[in-house]
Amino acid sequence: MSSAAEVAPTAADESSTLVVEGLVAGYGGVIALDGVSISADAAAITAVLGANGAGKTTLLRAISGMIRPRRGHVLLGGTDLTGRNPEQVVRAGIAHVPEGQGVIAELTVEENLRVGMMSWRGASRRPPARAGQVRAANSRAERVAALDEAYERFKPLADRRRKLAATLSGGERQMLVIARALLARPRVLLLDEPSLGLAPRVMTQVMDLVVQLSRENGLTIVLVEQNARAALAVADHGVVLNLGRVVASADARTLAADVTLRHHYLGF
Amino acid sequence: MVEFLQFTLSGIVFGMIYAAVALSLVLIWRGTRLLNYAQGGMAMFTTYVAIEVIYRTGSYWAGFVVALAAGIVLGAACQLTVIRPTMNKPPLNGVIVTIGLLVLLEGLAGIFFGGQYRSFPAAFSIIGIKAGTTPLGVSRYDVFVVAAVLVTTLVLAVAFKYTTAGLRMRAAAFNATIARLSGIRVARVLTVGWALAGLIGALAGVLVSPSTFLYPNSMDTIFVFGFTAAVIGGLDSPVGAVVGGLLLGIALSYVGGYLGSDLTSVVALGVLVVVLMIRPGGLFSATRVRRV
Repeated sequence: MSSAAEVAPTAADESSTLVVEGLVAGYGGVIALDGVSISADAAAITAVLGANGAGKTTLLRAISGMIRPRRGHVLLGGTDLTGRNPEQVVRAGIAHVPEGQGVIAELTVEENLRVGMMSWRGASRRPPARAGQVRAANSRAERVAALDEAYERFKPLADRRRKLAATLSGGERQMLVIARALLARPRVLLLDEPSLGLAPRVMTQVMDLVVQLSRENGLTIVLVEQNARAALAVADHGVVLNLGRVVASADARTLAADVTLRHHYLGF
Repeated sequence: MVEFLQFTLSGIVFGMIYAAVALSLVLIWRGTRLLNYAQGGMAMFTTYVAIEVIYRTGSYWAGFVVALAAGIVLGAACQLTVIRPTMNKPPLNGVIVTIGLLVLLEGLAGIFFGGQYRSFPAAFSIIGIKAGTTPLGVSRYDVFVVAAVLVTTLVLAVAFKYTTAGLRMRAAAFNATIARLSGIRVARVLTVGWALAGLIGALAGVLVSPSTFLYPNSMDTIFVFGFTAAVIGGLDSPVGAVVGGLLLGIALSYVGGYLGSDLTSVVALGVLVVVLMIRPGGLFSATRVRRV
């Protein structure tokens, strides 16, 4: 199957498999996705490739509920998430990192990270003062621990926690948005062009991080990339979109070796 | 010199009221990019509610509290019923709806409460305070006005900065897409924003009415001044709203005192035009960070 098959699939993995079936979606009269079906395996990286306008970003937006699909289904571990809004989809375990290093520039680094925990149970409802005191304390400790963990993993962010996110470099911003998405404790991570606008060295770091998240943390990753060569180098599986349809879906190595496909759709 | 001091102090008092109106406009603008033309009308309506409660119970404070509560309810109700359907529509739709809301509220006030001018009681003495023998031009009630707006602003500022609910509101205001993807129920947050704006508007209405009388259009001028203050501050910045209110209040007080009170409205409009021409982003735009 995939090159990461040395990780034996377990029962828990099943719940982290993302399946998209016959998705049709668009904007107004424009159909951007025309019956797209993909399957992203648990603890693997699935690269979604294609030219501008192929429907890659729309696919992620339809999965995370930012646009409502006209037909088709989005299933996470067998649970149908089709038509749910973004607030519900992130609670179901899918975190979407939109393109463009989307930090909230007006907030500090730490505030951006705290936003990542807004989907936690109890984030919107405070427990009753007396009976829930212990629970409230626990959840506060848990939040602090989660923040510390994020700073441990992304050390440059720790030094800048009180700084406005607007002051960060491109690489740091990408770090921040991924850290924020991870704080939602997702099973599936949707990454839209994480390498866009980054210096080559920083891009390599981001790709290494993506691999780490999949191999070590067992996250299911859907990686949308313009840079097909870099994406296929880290991915287990690749899907090529063209004008809203899947034109190829195979093992990442097979795709990278297919010269005709590369020339036609991937530009390398 | 004494005159100058008096004009300055009374300018600060009115400036705080403009600041409160400006703050209520900023709260809604930040979340929805919508200017709520009904803000003054909502404040007028809740002040009528207050006056009815005061006449029936004989207690100023009962009326005060009920007015603030009515502001919360009215703000949330307006957002849920007529504003929410205009979201994701062209921005002009929302503007037209708030203007319609203003006309509706002023019409309803005429039907329910009558069109005649009514005097509104003050919480404290309106006799001027003297420093020694020098009259300062402000009363104990004026001190209460300033304190009430200051406390409300500070509580809001602290809540915005240091609570999770405040962070949720700021995140939703700055970037609704990221907020939603992070699990923040932005629609609910916007309702809370309207409720808070309703509360602050109601406060402004109750505080200003002893000096203006109460009638269905009584808040129109105050709304224009509050809007001007908000534009001076940059519409996006709560701090800017308060500073803008104070600047405008003091400036208009000098104009009214030295040149004649007929000129205040004209000068306010002049200030609005000049600010929009020279610094359309408001005085506080320089500190605003680049949007991504």
